[in-house]
Amino acid sequence: MKAFFRISPLFVAVLASLPAIQLSAQDWVHTGTNLGNDRIRIAAADMKPVGFDPQTPVLKAAFDATLYSDLANAGIFDLVSKSMIPQATPGSPQEISLPQWSAAPSNAAMVAFGALSATNGRLAVYGWLFDTRNTANPQVLGKQYNEQASQDMARTVAHRFADEIIYRLGGGVNGIAETKIYFVSSRSGSKEIWSMDYDGQNEHQVTHLGSISISPRISPDNSRIAFSSLGGQGWSIRMFSLELGRPVAFPAGSAGGSNLSPAWSGDGTKIAFSSSRSGDSEIWVADAGGGNLRKLTSFKGPDVAPAWNPRTNAQIAWVSGRTGLPQIYTMDIDGANVQRMTDGGYAISPSWAPNGQFLTFSWNRKYGPGAPGGQDIYVMDIASKRWLQVTHDSGSNDFPSWAPDTRHIVFERTNGKRSDIWTMLADGTEQHQLTHSGNNFMPNWSWK
Amino acid sequence: MSLLNDGERLERELTPEPVVGPATGSLVLHALLAGSLVFYGIFAGLFHHNQWGGSGGGGAIQVSLVSNALPLPSDLPPNQNVLATDTPSQAPAEATPKAKQAVDMTAIPISGKQKKPQTQTAPKNQVNQPQQNNRAQYGEQAGSSMARATQTQSGPIGPTSISDGDFGSRFGWYVDGINRKMSTSWYKPEVDPRTPRGARVYLTFTISRGGNPSDVRIERSSGSTTLDRSCQRGVQRVDTFGGLPAAYNQSTLKVSYYCEY
Repeated sequence: MKAFFRISPLFVAVLASLPAIQLSAQDWVHTGTNLGNDRIRIAAADMKPVGFDPQTPVLKAAFDATLYSDLANAGIFDLVSKSMIPQATPGSPQEISLPQWSAAPSNAAMVAFGALSATNGRLAVYGWLFDTRNTANPQVLGKQYNEQASQDMARTVAHRFADEIIYRLGGGVNGIAETKIYFVSSRSGSKEIWSMDYDGQNEHQVTHLGSISISPRISPDNSRIAFSSLGGQGWSIRMFSLELGRPVAFPAGSAGGSNLSPAWSGDGTKIAFSSSRSGDSEIWVADAGGGNLRKLTSFKGPDVAPAWNPRTNAQIAWVSGRTGLPQIYTMDIDGANVQRMTDGGYAISPSWAPNGQFLTFSWNRKYGPGAPGGQDIYVMDIASKRWLQVTHDSGSNDFPSWAPDTRHIVFERTNGKRSDIWTMLADGTEQHQLTHSGNNFMPNWSWK
Repeated sequence: MSLLNDGERLERELTPEPVVGPATGSLVLHALLAGSLVFYGIFAGLFHHNQWGGSGGGGAIQVSLVSNALPLPSDLPPNQNVLATDTPSQAPAEATPKAKQAVDMTAIPISGKQKKPQTQTAPKNQVNQPQQNNRAQYGEQAGSSMARATQTQSGPIGPTSISDGDFGSRFGWYVDGINRKMSTSWYKPEVDPRTPRGARVYLTFTISRGGNPSDVRIERSSGSTTLDRSCQRGVQRVDTFGGLPAAYNQSTLKVSYYCEY
């Protein structure tokens, strides 16, 4: 060792630079497979009410219910039933006893808790997420919210807190609790565009055109809705600004013929739609402002319902009737590399998953008079063209649309004469009906 | 009066009915009908061809039942066998072996009768015989058992170890997140099935502040190139593991990860 010191002046240099290395060092984590892909067992404690404001219990009830349903709907959690959580309601990190939560019957690996108060018209929420198995450093998340005191705001704050939890524990995928769903409803007499929260709450009418408006598509920045509407010149693509609260111009969408099914590219700069202005129905692409119009397809037979690959913005899936029955195809945005995705039946309404890996569409695999089989939602892995049927034996299902987390799908289900909006996880579980009045069609999940 | 009427009737009956007019009319009408039918058959098929309705074939592709990883945790292990089922049907019960004739202990032994040498009837190779599972393995696949690259929890701690720093002890939930994310993005079917069970490839990669993996390297190869590559691809497939915890004060995190076949 001594000899080494003597003959190696380099060693001294290395020694001298050690503190510098230490400074720029990073932690090492060793891990591997077979460690689990189980759902995380999480408990959502009721918020502890603070103060005696008469509004507090109402807001607390709205917050608790929303947080619980958000976590239950996230698809990645195994939520502890409210009947199994400990009696004491912790309102702060000092008050919580983690062994109580990690022990049976709750067996929670994570617990979300906090305190809520309403004072002088302001709602204050303190929320924490603790890891029950890590007693030394249990805190995963600590959040504080201060908003106007109203039930809508209590729900919004609960959505935000849930999204923070889902982002932390869901591997960096943003939660969808703050997203919206746009859809068509005829409950006001004519078919207009409506919006609602992702859980079906807070329904609002967006357009009041008195005509027939269908296939709403929200822009990636949530500022505009493109939709097709029946007017004097037939079907045209129209644009509604949510910021201005009125329709704005989209010149490319109103030439002769039917202009239908607009679709935003993931960067919000382009819109694809189908138009029959050249005779046959083809896919056209225009800038979001309505200029720079060009035609992508030129096949015999109708080409409709384009959907962008939101990850690359370089591919489009659409429906083509070139071989008779409609089938799903994909192509590059320059019109090259056309690939057929479905092998038969009646396949319509493609939607491309935000991670670029999957398509979902509505498919009747045994189409024809007297043929068994219904219109159901399918999910297809694009690279391998392998698919999974996600709805079974329940009505006619159409217009699936991916949620931004690639875990959820919203779709339209028609049972008898009633059409309603439903959501489910992408594997077909956890199906929930969102709308309950009027007839509702063609849902579209917002991008964030 | 009646006579007059009778005469009139007689006259009417004797005069020939006009046949030619109505007959030609009827003929023309029928010809028109037949003509319009032929016309419809020829032309309507051309002009009213239903683009959506035909049962045209064309470039069919093969599709199969299972697919790749959805970003959802799954309760069921991946099932590559389309014919396997979660609820095996009962096959007929196995035939019970015939009971040996019991030796009558009370019987009086006949003197002079030679006792037959007792042959050992213990079945040969009983140890090597495969366990007979009295189940028929066929049927429909459960609806949601889409292959999802799931692994089951091996233990409460697992082979996670920290060599430097206290990241693992402070942010165990983040390490769990890495495991969860990797198990959905690593596709076991990509690996050559001849790879021996338990083969492990060790990778290292760096997670940036924003959660993106980079600098994926093989630290120790498993000896199977397909396993090495599939594990590497598994990391590359991950967009983000989620931003590093705010309380962690370094800019990057070095991760050593193994994929075990």
